[in-house]
Amino acid sequence: MTLSRFLLAVLIALLLPGCDERAASPSAQAGAVQQKVLRFTFQAAETGFDPVRVSDYYSGVVIAAIFDPLLTYDYLARPAKIVPNTAVALPEISDGGKTYTLRIKPGIRFSDDAAFKGKPRELTAADYAYAIKRFLDPKNRAQYAFLFEGKIVGLDKLAADAKKSGRFDYDAPVVGLETPDRYTLRIRLNETDFNFSHVLAFPMVSAVAREAVEAYANDTNAHPVGTGPYVLKQYVRSSKMVLEKNPHFREMLWNAEVGDNPENHQIAARMKGKRLPLIERVEISVMDEAQSRWLAFQRRETDIEYQLEELAPKFMNADNTLKPEFTSQGIRMERSVDPEIIYLFFNTQEKIGDAPNPFGGFAPEKIALRRAIAMAYNVEDQIRVIRKGQSVRAHYPIPPGVAGHEPDYRIGIPHDVRLANALLDKFGYQRGADGYRLQPDGKYLILRYFSQPTERDRQFDELMKRSLDKIGLRVQIQKERFAELNKLADQCRLTLRHAAWIADYPDGDNFMQLLYGPNSGQTNSACYRSPEFDKRYEQSRRLPHGVERNQLYREMARQMEADTAWLLTDSRYRNVLVQPYVVGFKKHPVYAHEFLYMDIDRSDARALKDGRP
Amino acid sequence: MNAAAQSPGSPSLWALAWRRLKRDRVGMVSLALVGGYVLVVIAAELGLVAADWAREAGVNYAPPAFAGSTDSGGPQVNADLRTNATVRHEPGIVDPLASVLNELRQNLAAAPPEAPRAATLPLGGDKWGRDVLKKAVKGTETSMVVGLVAALLAVAIATIMGAYAGYYGGRMDDILNWLYSVFTAIPYLLLVLAIAAVLNQKGTLTVILILGLTGWTGIFRLVRAEYIKHRTREYVLAADAVGASHAQRMFVHILPNVSHVVLVQLSLHVVLFIKMEVILSFLGFGVGVDTVSWGSMLNESQAELILGKWWQLAAATAAMAVLVTAFSLFTDALRDALDPRLK
Repeated sequence: MTLSRFLLAVLIALLLPGCDERAASPSAQAGAVQQKVLRFTFQAAETGFDPVRVSDYYSGVVIAAIFDPLLTYDYLARPAKIVPNTAVALPEISDGGKTYTLRIKPGIRFSDDAAFKGKPRELTAADYAYAIKRFLDPKNRAQYAFLFEGKIVGLDKLAADAKKSGRFDYDAPVVGLETPDRYTLRIRLNETDFNFSHVLAFPMVSAVAREAVEAYANDTNAHPVGTGPYVLKQYVRSSKMVLEKNPHFREMLWNAEVGDNPENHQIAARMKGKRLPLIERVEISVMDEAQSRWLAFQRRETDIEYQLEELAPKFMNADNTLKPEFTSQGIRMERSVDPEIIYLFFNTQEKIGDAPNPFGGFAPEKIALRRAIAMAYNVEDQIRVIRKGQSVRAHYPIPPGVAGHEPDYRIGIPHDVRLANALLDKFGYQRGADGYRLQPDGKYLILRYFSQPTERDRQFDELMKRSLDKIGLRVQIQKERFAELNKLADQCRLTLRHAAWIADYPDGDNFMQLLYGPNSGQTNSACYRSPEFDKRYEQSRRLPHGVERNQLYREMARQMEADTAWLLTDSRYRNVLVQPYVVGFKKHPVYAHEFLYMDIDRSDARALKDGRP
Repeated sequence: MNAAAQSPGSPSLWALAWRRLKRDRVGMVSLALVGGYVLVVIAAELGLVAADWAREAGVNYAPPAFAGSTDSGGPQVNADLRTNATVRHEPGIVDPLASVLNELRQNLAAAPPEAPRAATLPLGGDKWGRDVLKKAVKGTETSMVVGLVAALLAVAIATIMGAYAGYYGGRMDDILNWLYSVFTAIPYLLLVLAIAAVLNQKGTLTVILILGLTGWTGIFRLVRAEYIKHRTREYVLAADAVGASHAQRMFVHILPNVSHVVLVQLSLHVVLFIKMEVILSFLGFGVGVDTVSWGSMLNESQAELILGKWWQLAAATAAMAVLVTAFSLFTDALRDALDPRLK
């Protein structure tokens, strides 16, 4: 049934691009009247729902609905503000920012599962300690291990032992992860870190029940058992996920910080004090093609749609407002810049594998070569032509909406093709007989740019080729699939690639760690190692958000530019379309599971259809 | 060579075929059209036309001249891009290139004024402002070269294998037929995509290899059947009697007598491969980023249609439709001319 509906949507998308798409599907509407159902799509397949074993955005959305971190972010407060979730209050930070003590609300229950053998299972502090330990278990190959590596007293030794013995000893005591009583968790850090609360609010750092993890050891990705507002009811891999309200979910009332934003007041007027979650069922389908998602939204088969970048001209006017034919139906659009950066990174290592890398290293002529490429790459065309204006130039490694962002910072690498050419001439990159430049010692020079075999990436390939032709650099486009590219990045084997990083938590540290030397081969794909940068980064980790840390961040950004490890390009707009009967939506700067705080009210939709505003 | 077997005075097979072809009006018009395309391809290959197709001649998405310039606006570019706010340097950070860059900046003369970009182009411009007419010409070159060379490759493989299989029969036939079965057991498009994914290298040569190495199967069966039919004919036995070797009998005596089948298949496959190249490029497996083909143009026009820019789609489709139709009609006429019994 679901498959045939999906196929039908694809067929319609292929065959009838111009037909009247507004007729609502009667079956879809009839089903929704009895129960509050929210339907939306993912543009790429999820990987699974074990918080330590996945790192993609889509899996993260589902994980955040099923599991509970200790802390969370207020729904409406901007900039994002940390509030307690399963913790009674915000952590008690003592010992100069080295000890975090949290108390957990008693009486919270895990959702029923066969692993608990019919007994109710209460959430305890030990579940969080266990969850954190899992990140360092080599068996889990956690992408987010960097959140804890080197941070918690005694935990790294356990991980090192596990690497030797092949078994991670979860029962061994860890000085940095103590549970003095059933509901208290005390975390001791190796070094001062005032920003550790962000890590505790990250949905991937959620409580898991050890019994459940061990019962489903082979396939934890398909059997999430958590304490969160929803449970996974139905799961068809890479196709459909159905979440239903967790009947044992603790009492949680809508109580967001309204502030003086009039829009927030409107939302609060309808939501305040209601018991969450209000939406009883969430249906997520995977649809890769933007055209199919767009048709589904127009047919009201989905209720919220946020991945229509390339179709923006279909529903937006030139001034970036929603076209009147959609506003008259009551559809609303939320437009905001994602807390993300897109950047072009160079491999800064002198050698890739055993082969010398003519673009790596920190000798002046190598930096000049990278600088010239960065100056030649036409970011304006990327924004104007490829993004169709749906992004803003990124100047600073920390995007807007994230603590540490500097709105007045201007990138120090201008777009200047003539200067780039002059620079290359100056450092002896002479042109050969075919007009392409050679290395200063006369050796052949070719730059390999990595991208994916998709139509969108082809546009980037073209732009790269056009930009580099202008400075006479030969470029070879190397096509690999996404998973393969990530594998190569982990081995520091990519010479040049576009990458994107979206905030896991709204703190500058989450972005600056992308350039920290020891994170090479994890998140630092440029494998950039600069003593000057690393020294400042280590200092910055010990400081709370503030003037002093911002000064360090500015210096780090300039250092990165001086070494030209990255060229920052842009941050994309996210245009979210919302059906008229969806109540209380406001794009959160970090979280993507806003549906926890939303409602559906169909009576209102009918009023809108009658033409009332 | 085989003309020696014919009585002097009577017109040869080819002359008769040409006479029949000339009587076919549709065939001659198609031939003229195909000839026109071939001239364009030769001119493009020699760099006489469309050599500067990659130049950004017009504004982005310049409309066709006959449609007139109507700046549709589109989403505004963030004004932030234009502002030239000063870059504040951090005192503690040393840029090793700072002094060099300052020196170079001073030495650079004032920028020469950029050549203004045209507001309209004959058939419009693509997203970078490249001339769609020139792209279509250049695309014709790529697509036709791919079609012709790949078809020649496929026909060569098929003829040699078909000759051996049909002429020798027995174990040789079994082995070659087994190979044929393996190739045809896989759905064609899937096979093409699988090979494309394995080669994973873009370029015209890759496309030619993919198409040539997968497209020989149908021709192989036909050639094999012809050889089975011919190998016991009297003229072949006679050649054996005068001491001709196997290779001589296969390629000197039999081949000219089955060449009409091969020729018709060749032209059929040119059309097929032109279409396959378009499909491959459309799916992103086709030619590289510095080459333009009809397939890559169609691929680009997917995104453009959303913006209402139809001209690239129209140009590529028209160029392809005319050639494919003309070539198909010409093939029909050629088959009628070469094998009058079929008529």
